[in-house]
Order: sequence, then structure tokens, then C-alpha cells
Amino acid sequence: MLSGQYDIAAIYCEVDGVYTNTVSVDAVRGAGRPEATYLVERIVEKAAREMGRDPADFRRQNFVKSFPHQTPVILAYDVGDYPKALDKALELADYKGVGARKAASAAKGKLRGVGFSAYIEACGLAPSQAAGSLGAGVGLWESAEVRVNMVGTVEVLTGCHSHGQGHETTYAQLVCSRLGIPIENVSIVHGDTDKVQMGMGTYGSRSGAVGMSAISKALDKIEAKAKKVAGHVLEASDQDIEFKDGKFTVKGTDKSIDFVSIALNAYTAHKFNGQELEPGLKETAFWDPPNFTFPAGVHICELEVDPQTGVVTIDRWTAVDDFGKLINPMIVEGQIHGGVAHGIGQALMEAAHYDADGQLLTASYMDYCMPRAADLPSFKVDTIETPCPSNPLGIKGCGEAGAIASPPAVINAITDALGHEDVAMPATPQVVWRAAQKAVAKRAAE
Amino acid sequence: MYAFEYHCPATLSGALADLAKADAKALAGGMTLLPTMKQRLASPAALVDLKNVPELAGIAREGDNLLIGAISRHADVARSSVVQAAIPALAKLAGGIGDPHVRNMGTIGGSLANNDPSADYPAAALALGAMIVTNKRRIPAQDFFTGLFETTLEAGELITQVSFPIPQKAAYMKFPNPASRYALVGVFVAKAAGGVRVAVTGAGANGVFRANALEAALNANFSPAALEGVSVPASGLNSDLHADADYRAHLIGVMAKRAVAAAG
Repeated sequence: MLSGQYDIAAIYCEVDGVYTNTVSVDAVRGAGRPEATYLVERIVEKAAREMGRDPADFRRQNFVKSFPHQTPVILAYDVGDYPKALDKALELADYKGVGARKAASAAKGKLRGVGFSAYIEACGLAPSQAAGSLGAGVGLWESAEVRVNMVGTVEVLTGCHSHGQGHETTYAQLVCSRLGIPIENVSIVHGDTDKVQMGMGTYGSRSGAVGMSAISKALDKIEAKAKKVAGHVLEASDQDIEFKDGKFTVKGTDKSIDFVSIALNAYTAHKFNGQELEPGLKETAFWDPPNFTFPAGVHICELEVDPQTGVVTIDRWTAVDDFGKLINPMIVEGQIHGGVAHGIGQALMEAAHYDADGQLLTASYMDYCMPRAADLPSFKVDTIETPCPSNPLGIKGCGEAGAIASPPAVINAITDALGHEDVAMPATPQVVWRAAQKAVAKRAAE
Repeated sequence: MYAFEYHCPATLSGALADLAKADAKALAGGMTLLPTMKQRLASPAALVDLKNVPELAGIAREGDNLLIGAISRHADVARSSVVQAAIPALAKLAGGIGDPHVRNMGTIGGSLANNDPSADYPAAALALGAMIVTNKRRIPAQDFFTGLFETTLEAGELITQVSFPIPQKAAYMKFPNPASRYALVGVFVAKAAGGVRVAVTGAGANGVFRANALEAALNANFSPAALEGVSVPASGLNSDLHADADYRAHLIGVMAKRAVAAAG
């Protein structure tokens, strides 16, 4: 991810592996992309500051502007509109008013800072061949089974488990909009290995782009077969059957039949030869994505530092993300809220501390600091949309974006407020207070 | 949990009789004792629940003193119109202890007897010059707190009431530990006829203490400006993963200034 949203000709990367018997890092929301994004967005921010450039303009100038774009670090970005997200975010964040707000904060002894994060991530894991070439022991397709019952109710069995992401709602929305049936007639079955065929799971923001693409593929098969059944029932060629809003119609006529009746006919098999067309209406699909997806966006953090105590109060948070097509915008917004909270936790609070003997000191929430509602501002969340070309639904994925975007936005805002770059995560009050002391000393020396 | 006897006496004499039994522990709000028992760090043979003992209850003003019964819960103190009128800083402190669950169970007597080095009440008791009243004697707060989780309470001795002289001005400022929200540093400033007292909780390696240099500066001039340049030494303060001693020392000064400003 080291190319970020930027058109960079060459990237040199040196990686040191460190052997440790403590848990230094493990896979959690974003898993590697927050770290890469942190590096890129801190460097870009610093570069803008050192050159005396506005950090938004500096980013815009260096954005990738034509697609597809081959980065020097393997990934090829398929589609995006980075300046559009930036401009929308600047507008929503009232970037023009920052100067006045900084002055107002200064008047009450506070330091206000603004920090950007123009992140990109790769998700929608993953083309199985690419996964294999990287050493994965499995393929990273996803599976789906769509069972249409005789009475027209539908069960969808998915390999993507839902543990709070709302698949039961989003997946059902997809199915009912495709089949034109009420949402209460759709049930989503997941997490039951007794019922569900092999699946690869929910992680890496893949349930939309990969899991729903598998369902979409199975729905294509359902539609194709249902058209054949409808052809027999309506005494027309299945090539002449159109399916729309839950109705099968013979093209150019008013002869039509609803989805529920076709479901029943598929099982009674009275109107077609069961030797030529199999009875029933149940289809399975496996979707192997041809590419990663590349969600991207711009997050802007505006905060106040109390230089006396080092306490950071986040005042405004603006997020403009491009997740491609959205199925359920409310669930997407919820994912952003959770992801940003997660990232703010990483930036300001969370750390695993060990003593010299390797004993974990932060073994309970009395010592390991998690973000709470009172630590967070009200988020301003919006999206732009460039549909993903590599899956049938145009979806990119949204589950981890907030956690990937937010840490550098917070630290960029703190360093902007302090006028001092040396702030490491987590920027606890003590860390920020020490940095504020250094900033005072630096200004005095100048 | 393991099996233990549970007594719920209705009189102070009954409670003292129950407590005289082998390995019996007094239970007030249980906010520390019960978690300690769950973790098997304590395993008393009997608990003597004080919640129905009338001699330990009640909040009243008597002349220049505010009297708070030992089993008054933090929420009772926070909501009490008597406390709010007499020592508003104390009501505010009580309303900021822990979380709603803790405030509706924890008691002032339990908190003082436990003397947690990060608890809020010890700072109030010390700064206000409170008298800790027990079934045996009256102990000035100055003599009551003797170290981490240590007090001068003896076996068979129960706090019955806390008597707070009503100050001219007072305020409490807490800098909460970001994770636990206990006081990382809490400073209670009180100005009374006898002078200014500044008590600090959360920071001292030996528990709650008085900040003498700050008191001297405020006795000369009770204003935030009087504390400019007056520093608290970092020696004797806690250093842990949340805050180093020098940061705590700095925060004591900041919280003291803010408390003086709030006291008006």
C-alpha cells in the first residue's frame, strides 16, 4: 500500500524483521493497511509542511488521476476519483474556516490542529491464484447457495459469517431487489457448518465485494432457470422472457406470471418435461474475484490540545469515502463510525505494555484504554461512488476503512496543533504534554 | 465464589457482635471487597452487611459541620441538597466517582476505610480537615490515612460517620486515568478560617497527601496566579504505565490552579 493515492514513480522499501516473545502486532481491523497508511500519510503531511505547501493542495497535485494505474509495489488500482473525495471533504469540514477556529482556540489557551489522511486500501480478498502466489494455503473465493422454496420464500446460505456487520439485512436487500419479493420472505443462513457448504469467511472487508458477488452469481443462475420454467408456463421461448420487479413477462405481450408462481411450478414440474429440465429451484455459486478492490477516501480530523495537560479533544471528524456501490448506506455509515472509533483508539489510547520480564501489564480494561463514546465527536460521513469494475455489484468494501484512515489523521492534527513532529502513537496525554513541552522549547530556541 | 456466612444486622451493636466472630469482614458497598473475593485475593469466613444499620445512615448539617453517615452511598451524597448547599465541591466529587453502578453501591465509609491511593474521598477528607468518627473514637483525617490501603482503624472498629467542617471555599479537580477513570491526579483545595489545605490523591506513592508548598502559596494569596512557578517535587510520586512521576507532579500544579479557579 506504500503508493497510497499518489502517482509515485519508484518506491524503495526496506523491512526489518524483529524477533520478539511479546505480541507486537496481530491481525485486527485493517491488518497491515493502517500501518502502511500511517507511514505514507505522515510522510506526505511532513513533506507538505516542509515545503510550505497546503497539505490538501499538495495531496491533490500528487494524486493518481488516470486509471487503471500500475503502482511500483505490485497493486494495480482499477478505478477512483481522489480529487473529488478530497474536495467534498474540504467542503464538509469547512476547511476555509480553520484559521478562525484556530484563533478562537488560541484565545482560550488551546492549540487547534487539522490533520488529513488520504488513504487507499486493498480488500475484497482475493483472487485465489494471487493468494496462492503469496503463499496462502487456501483459495479466497466465496460461496453462496440460493434456495427458492415452493412457496416463493428464499433461503440464502453464505460462507461469510455475520458477527455484527448486518449481512442479514444487506444480503436480504440484494435478494429481494433482484427477485422482487418482500424482505420478510428472505432468510440469510450463516455460521452453521451443518447447513452451509464450504465458505471462506468474513474478514478483509470482503463480505460485500466477494460474498455478495457469490450470491449475485447464484441469483443469475436462479433467474436463468426460472426463465426456462416461465417459458414453459407461458408457452414462449425462454429467450423471450423478461424478468423485472418480480414478474416474468413474454416480451412485447401482456402475458406475465409472478415469481411465487414460478417457484411453485419449478417444484410441481407439471408444465415441463422433468427429463429435460430438472425440477426445483436451488443454485450454488462460487465467486473467485479477478482483482482486489481499492476503497479510498479522505478523512479530516480537527482537534484541540490542552497544552497544560496534553489532553486531546477531537472536535470534528469528516470522512468522505469511495466504497463503490452501496447496498445499505446506513450500515456502511455504521461501519465507518466503528472503524474511525477503532482508529482513534489506536492513535490516542491503546497500547500493550509489558514489564521487563515479559509480564503483560495492560491485561484488563482498567489499564488497557479503549475508546468510549464520550471520547469521540459526532462524525460527518459522506461518500462518492466510482463503481468497482471487478465484481458484478460494483462494491469495494467498507468494514476496515475507518480504522485504516484515522490514525494518521489524528497524529497529523496533533503535530499541526503543536508545531512539532515528534509524536508517537498512542498519543496519550503524557505523550502529548511532553511533545508540547518540546515545542515550547523549540519556539524559545528560535 | 466460595461459601461464606452472610450476616445482615439491624443495629450497630449487632454488627459489632457479628464482626467479633472469627475472620469476619464488614461489607459496605462491596465495590472493592467483592471483586477481591471473586479473584480469591480475600476469602473471609463471614460478611457483615452494614446496609441496615441505622446508626451509620443519614446526612445532616449541625452548626458548622456536615455530618455524613458511613453507609451513605456516593449517589446519595451527590444528590443531597444538604451537601450541595454546605459543601458543593463534596457533592460534585461524589458525583464523579467511578460510574453509575459504583455510585449507587459504594459508600463514603467504605471508601475511606479502604483508602485506595486513587480514590477521591480521601482527598476531600484530608483537605477539609474531616473528623472520622468510629464506634470507639474520633480520628482527625490528618492522622487517619497511614499508607496504601492502610488506616489507623483497629480490629473491631467501624467508621460510623464523617464530620466535615464547612469551608469558606472548596473545589476538587480530577485528572482521570484514561483507562480506569480513577484519579491519575486529584486535587482538593479547601479554604477555611484556619487556612488553606491542598490534598492530592492518585499521585502519591504512599497514598493521599497534603501539598505543603501549594498551601503556603495559597495562604499568602488564594488565587491561581499564586501557584505560578510553585512546583511540586516528583520524588515520592507514582510512576507507572499511565504517567511518570514528573508528569503527575506537573498535573498536581495544573489541577490545583484549576481547583482554586473553580473555588472562586
